[in-house]
This record gives sequence, structure tokens and C-alpha cells, in this order.
Amino acid sequence: MAVHEALAAIIGWPPIWQVLIIGFIGSLVVSIFAVWFERKAAARVQRRLGPYWASPRLGGLLHLIADLARYAFQYPIIPRRVDVVPFLAAPIAGLIIALLPLAVIPFTSNPSYWPLPPAAMEYSLLIALAIATLPPIFIIAAGWASNNPFAVIGGVREAFIIVAYELIAILGFLGAAAAVGSFNLVEIVAAQEGFKWLILLNPIAFLAVFIAIVMSTSAFPFEIPESEAEVVAGPFTEYSGILYALNMGGAYMRRFVLAILTVLAFLGGWQPLTPGEGLLWGYILPSIVVVAKAVVIVLAISFLRAVYGRYRLDQALDMAWKILLPLALAGIALGLIEASIGVV
Amino acid sequence: MAPRVGLRSLEKRRTLIDGVRSNIHVLMLGVKYFVNPRRMTLVYPREYPKLSEGYRGFIILKKEKCISCAACARICPSAAMKMIRVQEPDPKHPGKAKMKQYPVINYQRCIFCGYCVDVCPTEALYHVNYHDIVYDNLADMFWDLETFQREPEYKTAAEGRPVRIVIHEELGLVKVPVEDKA
Repeated sequence: MAVHEALAAIIGWPPIWQVLIIGFIGSLVVSIFAVWFERKAAARVQRRLGPYWASPRLGGLLHLIADLARYAFQYPIIPRRVDVVPFLAAPIAGLIIALLPLAVIPFTSNPSYWPLPPAAMEYSLLIALAIATLPPIFIIAAGWASNNPFAVIGGVREAFIIVAYELIAILGFLGAAAAVGSFNLVEIVAAQEGFKWLILLNPIAFLAVFIAIVMSTSAFPFEIPESEAEVVAGPFTEYSGILYALNMGGAYMRRFVLAILTVLAFLGGWQPLTPGEGLLWGYILPSIVVVAKAVVIVLAISFLRAVYGRYRLDQALDMAWKILLPLALAGIALGLIEASIGVV
Repeated sequence: MAPRVGLRSLEKRRTLIDGVRSNIHVLMLGVKYFVNPRRMTLVYPREYPKLSEGYRGFIILKKEKCISCAACARICPSAAMKMIRVQEPDPKHPGKAKMKQYPVINYQRCIFCGYCVDVCPTEALYHVNYHDIVYDNLADMFWDLETFQREPEYKTAAEGRPVRIVIHEELGLVKVPVEDKA
């Protein structure tokens, strides 16, 4: 067995393929496009032109490539007073762990392309949620290791936000699981056959999950930890160069991963398509459908920057505990009622 | 006089319904502008604002009208204008030369206030209606007497198309194309 065959076998193994190709490269492309869309949509709504001059025909898309190149080749400064090991490890570990849920998410109903053995697939939603709750720890660690007042305040804000949104996100996803009666993502998608998508049957839980994703990845109305008007860049104040890009890109990649999870749980996954046999029909086309739906969610979140201002920390926590938590619980109740009637 | 005592009711607390309604309203407004954008940005080198004739742009000298009174140099608030002495043939005594003073201008200092044009008793100075000219080095912005008498080339007009900006009640700023080139 030649070396390139072994390499192809390793990369073709579904967990590695999903984390490396769909996760890393795919979410890099998606986050570049999402940042461009964010700037362009905000410009359209606010009667401006947005990025333009780098490539007028593409609407300034090359601005983002130039930004990426600048971040990649900038000299990363490590201040003398930081705690070096956590300072360097936090963005890298945060990025990797943000992508890890993709190693347990199925992109097709064909069992030969599942990333987990069928017995473990029974709990794929739970495992994915459990891994998805880890990355904020590294944001707090980055803020603490920076040894900077702004960074510490940003990290504390992130901690406040975590305790608000984690519960809402998990309870919201449980609304989908309660309706179907299974933690198996494949079964949840299979239950949405024929456009009985859970976003239509259970919009309350979807709304809770959507706002929880917006909060968790500090997208616009809840861009509290790194609000540049108050705390310079929050936990990322001391970072520069590629480390800053990892931190900021990590939020977009986490948003993309959570959007994929939302697509599977609420938007019918690969649903217009029925996965068949073979690599193309069984794996690649369904995953393209899932990623396309996830991109729509990411762009919808990006659009919020155009219309909203930033909430204060207490307003966000007020909204989370007083409105969204009852909303998520109501979503679970609605899912149970639908399951008992037999709608799903 | 005793201070007036009165009751002032607190503002009514916003209910949940109000919050939901205003959120939906702002999202619909955003989508409306996203679908139908009303951009006001002037894409500058490609289109430039056509300025009116009285605009205070670059200042040009008509040398034959100048009487060397130096009022322009004295009134200049930023000391951009200076008088220089040049030799000229004397019309009264043919064959002999005489010294005469003329103004020159330093566009590093000029603030385009136009006092020199206003104060000139013989209207020897006048404005052109453009001011956006780029120089490669600072030394080019010192104009000598020959440069001061020529209108500078307006390169923006060669590249862009002139527009006039009109204020509209609903649309904000509207750009109306103008045909003639400056």
C-alpha cells in the first residue's frame, strides 16, 4: 500500500474528513464570505457602498483575502507580562475544539459514511452539544493569561454570557430531541421527512436556539465580550497577527458548526435529497446540502449587524433569563405535546 | 417664590409585546433597505461634484491688472501669499529696467478663504471652481509667478463624470448627472 493511498484513506475517514475539509477549510471559506457579507449588508442598509475598490466586479470580496493575508504575515507580538503557555495555547485549542463537534455529526443517512459506529450514533446530538460547550473556556483563559485589565473584563463578560446561553442552547436542542424522541441526529432528520421540518412544527425552540447561537458566538446584538467601544477588543486585546485571526475566526467557525447542528435538528438536514449508495450520492451531495443551509443561517446572523445596536450586559442577561429560558422550556413542552399527539 | 410641587408619572414600562413588535419592525426595515438600497456614496474619482462658478478653489493671478499694492499679502490670514520683486522694462524710460512687486502663493499654507480675491482693488486675482489637485512633492506647491498665472490642469474631470448633488426629502442625497465637463 503506497503512501498516497494510506494518506487518502486517512483523510477519507469520515471524522478526519469532516473536521479537516468541511470543518477547517470549509468554515474558513464560509467565514471569509460571512465577514464580507456582513460588511456589505451593513453598507447596503446604511446607504453606503461597503468594500469596493479592491475588486469592483466582485463587490470588494478581495478585501477579505487581503485582510487574511495581512493577519497571516503580521508579526505576532507576545507581551512580556503575559502567561506565555496559556496565551499561545488558548486560541489554538479553542479553534480546534470549536471544530471537534463535526467529528460526531452525521452528514448522511448512509451508515457506511457515519463518523461514529451506529451504537454511539444514538447519542450524537448529546456528544456534539457537550463538545460545543467547551470553547468559551479558552476565551476566558485567553483573557486571563493576557494580564490586561481590558482582557480580564472581557473574559468576565464572556463568563456571564456563557451561563446565560449554554442552558438555552441545550434546552432548545432538547426541544427537537423531545419531539422526535431520540438523540440520534439521523433519526431526527429522518423524522422531518416531507417538509415536516421542526422549524415549522416547533418555531419556539428554533428561535431560542438561534438567539443562543448569536449570543454564544458574540454576533451583533450580543457582541458584549469584545465590544470595541468599551473594552478594546475584550479577551483578545493583547493578541496580534495570526493569533488574533485565530481568535476572531474561531467565533465564526463556532457559529458555522452550531449552524450545521441547527440545520440537522430543525431545518431538515439533507432533506430535499435522499442519500443513496456511493460516495457522490451517499456522502458528498448531502453534505453540500447541509453546508448550504448552514451558510444561510450564518448569513442571517451576519445580517443582524446591519440593524441592531449592542445590548448592555445586564440587558442581555435579563433577556436570556427572563424571556429565552421560558421560551426554551416552552419549546420542550411544545415538542412533547406534538410527540404525544403524533404530529412528528 | 415657592417651587412648584407636582406629580410626574413615570414612563410606562414596555411590555413583552412592544419589544417583539419593535424587533420585528426593525428587522423588516433592515430587509427593506437591504432589498432596495438607497446609496448616497459618491464614487469619487469616477464621479465628482460639479461645483458652482462662485466656488472658492485655486486662486489665479492676472498679472497685467496687478498694481503691486500688496493688500493680498497683508490680508492673508495664513501668510500663504508673499510679494516678490521682479525686474521689468520701464514703459516711461525705454531701454531701462525697473523693479516691480508681484504676489506669489504657497499652497501648503493657503486655506482657500478668498480674502485676497475680495480685497484686490483691481480684480487681478480670481478663483477657479475646483480644488482637488494632488501634488507629488511639497516643492510643487510653491507657485512661482509663471505658474500663478496659469490655471492648473483639472485631472479629475478627465477621468470622472460630473454630478450635482441634490437634497431629496425621502431619498436623502441624490446625484444628478451634469452634461458639460468642467
